[in-house]
Amino acid sequence: MAAKAFGIVTSTPRRVNVYGLQEYRPAGAFTFAGKFRVIDFPVSNFSNSGIKNIQVYLNKHPKALTDHLGTGRSYNLNSKRDRLELFYCDHHKENDVYNTDVSDYMDNLSVLKSQPQEYVVIAPCYMVYKQDFNALLNDHIQSDADITMLYHRVNNAKDHYLNCRVLTMDQDQRILSLELNRGNRQNQCVFMDTYVMKKDLFISLVERASAYSSTYSLAQMISVITKTEEYEMRGVQHKGFFASIDDLKSFYESNMSILEVNRVKDLFSDDWWIHTRTTDSNPARIYEGADVKGCMIANGCHIEGKAENSIIGRAVEIGKGAVVRNSIILDHAVIGEGVVLDCQIVDKYASITKTRELIASPDKPGYVHRADIL
Amino acid sequence: MKQGGMLAMILAGGRGSRLHELTDKVAKPAVSYGGKYRIVDFPLSNCANSGIDIVGVLTQYESVLLNSYVAAGSRWGLDSDDSGVFVLTPREKADSGLDVYRGTADAISQNIDFIDQYNPEYLLILSGDHIYKMNYDKMLQAHREKGANATIAVRPVPIKEASRFGIMNTNEDGDIIEFEEKPAHPKSNLASMGIYIFTWKDLRKLLIQDMKDPDSAHDFGNNIIPTMLASNMKLIAYRFEGYWKDVGTIDSLWEANMDLLDKKNELDLSDPSWRIYSEDSSALPSYIGPEAEIDRIYVTQGTVIHGKVKNSVLSTGSVISAGACVTDSVLMPDSKVEEGATVTRAIIASGVKIGKGAVVGSADSENIILVSRNVKGVE
Repeated sequence: MAAKAFGIVTSTPRRVNVYGLQEYRPAGAFTFAGKFRVIDFPVSNFSNSGIKNIQVYLNKHPKALTDHLGTGRSYNLNSKRDRLELFYCDHHKENDVYNTDVSDYMDNLSVLKSQPQEYVVIAPCYMVYKQDFNALLNDHIQSDADITMLYHRVNNAKDHYLNCRVLTMDQDQRILSLELNRGNRQNQCVFMDTYVMKKDLFISLVERASAYSSTYSLAQMISVITKTEEYEMRGVQHKGFFASIDDLKSFYESNMSILEVNRVKDLFSDDWWIHTRTTDSNPARIYEGADVKGCMIANGCHIEGKAENSIIGRAVEIGKGAVVRNSIILDHAVIGEGVVLDCQIVDKYASITKTRELIASPDKPGYVHRADIL
Repeated sequence: MKQGGMLAMILAGGRGSRLHELTDKVAKPAVSYGGKYRIVDFPLSNCANSGIDIVGVLTQYESVLLNSYVAAGSRWGLDSDDSGVFVLTPREKADSGLDVYRGTADAISQNIDFIDQYNPEYLLILSGDHIYKMNYDKMLQAHREKGANATIAVRPVPIKEASRFGIMNTNEDGDIIEFEEKPAHPKSNLASMGIYIFTWKDLRKLLIQDMKDPDSAHDFGNNIIPTMLASNMKLIAYRFEGYWKDVGTIDSLWEANMDLLDKKNELDLSDPSWRIYSEDSSALPSYIGPEAEIDRIYVTQGTVIHGKVKNSVLSTGSVISAGACVTDSVLMPDSKVEEGATVTRAIIASGVKIGKGAVVGSADSENIILVSRNVKGVE
């Protein structure tokens, strides 16, 4: 059955600011669990849901994702009937204030209007979760709501999700407000930046937001209409693994949490696989004298030293006598002989051979820049 | 295919009965190797890396899996409009009945129509059960430069083992003057690797003659090559130095896997300039639990290790539970070693489960044990 909706994966919003990593790539290209990129989750969710007409919006550093997503072949989106389109918009110019999803959509309004599907499902590029969008769409159609919005209930919102929005709802899940999380309560319903609505309503909201202010986002527009009560808006609770990767700490914590076996089961299952682009790297090699415990090891690694409670990306080298603890090592990094790392995020192609020791703490992990030589 | 190019045919016909139950359900070229590969990935990747666009895979044994595997030519980058991988099984044709492939040469003869479609200038014949990396384009250059009718890849073997191989005796220029199949008293140590380049129009004529010869075994080594030598055609030896392994037996398949554990292994599958492509399954990175003890392993994504593993190769989806102990072994895809089980000097076939506390293999066994059925746990 042909899907009734097309999908949108949003560009990196202004609020997302992951120190270091974001200098080189959009949020969707952040690494997750050693071999995935965050955008693999929304795109796989769409593809697995049978929504195979997908638009991906990009603002800064498009290279990482154009390369990664390609024609969508890795996501089962390569038949003639499928479509994965990348829209690069550089309207933010020098001032990030113009960098909104609404300006992305305005740039492509004619394309949006020409989509044959009646509905649109919008998902963010910086959140990690598993969701059957087709089920959500059917739920939306049956509910008679104008807009359905996905949320996740959390109990640590005072010091987490501070770059997210939160929803309040009445007993019937009708949305009363959409506000930024100000960290004043632990229990919150974090909005997952995921919407279902009719395409026509979506376009009218985009046009309205754009006319209201050049800096308005879709969420801000929705926030306004929660007050005018023009539309029926309904929250749907998401269950299972959820992470919002919007700063360095959330990047670190959400990645590390995948080392807990139960969290893995929550996110990855054989019937809802998360696809990613293959690199055809060879299996990992763990040599005599190496010591690896509580780690995720991607293919192509060469390990001679010690790795503990860490995520080791593709083709990473860990030399003799080196110790890597509580760290996330991105692809092709080299950790030289005898180097000791604790609570570090080491970006791609970095080489740490001259520094003996980098130690940080889990609440303030260290970051080593891409291709830096330390 | 580009005009004047070379087309490759991989002889994957045999069942590979010396691999016992490993080839019960899959043809030999589809047998797993090195954690994430299948044997046929090597000739296919070599073809792709050598710039060969069209590859025929000749098989007549249980080939559903092999068929679907190689038909996805995209795995090796052989899926553009002018390239492809084709599985060629014996077919019933208008002018002849359905014949099985009677020999290696006959397998090619029966597919002359397929080859003619592409009008190649050269034909490369490969075997489907060898692990090696080789640039066939360099071999073609040698073939062209010397104006040969056929070029045969050879590699030096220790002279005392030479009587196990097909031996090429050459003159000073590297021209082959004599071919001896398993000679009792070898005159040279250059063993044929079963890799041939023929100038297609020459071979085509010979194949048509050979098909009509009732006394022929329709074999390249025993019939076609001797016929060419007898008619004074130019056959040259192309020397290959580098890793090469025939994985026709359980022991040799195990050894080839163990070779990957050496830090300086000659095969070097991490070389980015000569990748061996394979199916990259959807799987998480390898997970090594907090209590696991690992030492010298070759491990691919999708594996979960909670027990103790030493000197072993672990394939996608293999799971080693807490308290289990795996030593000097190869775990094929989706095999499971449950709590407290011990696996030593063994190949555990795909999907096989070694139950709790069970013991398979032993450290001082002469041969490697192949476990192809579930082993019940010890209560």
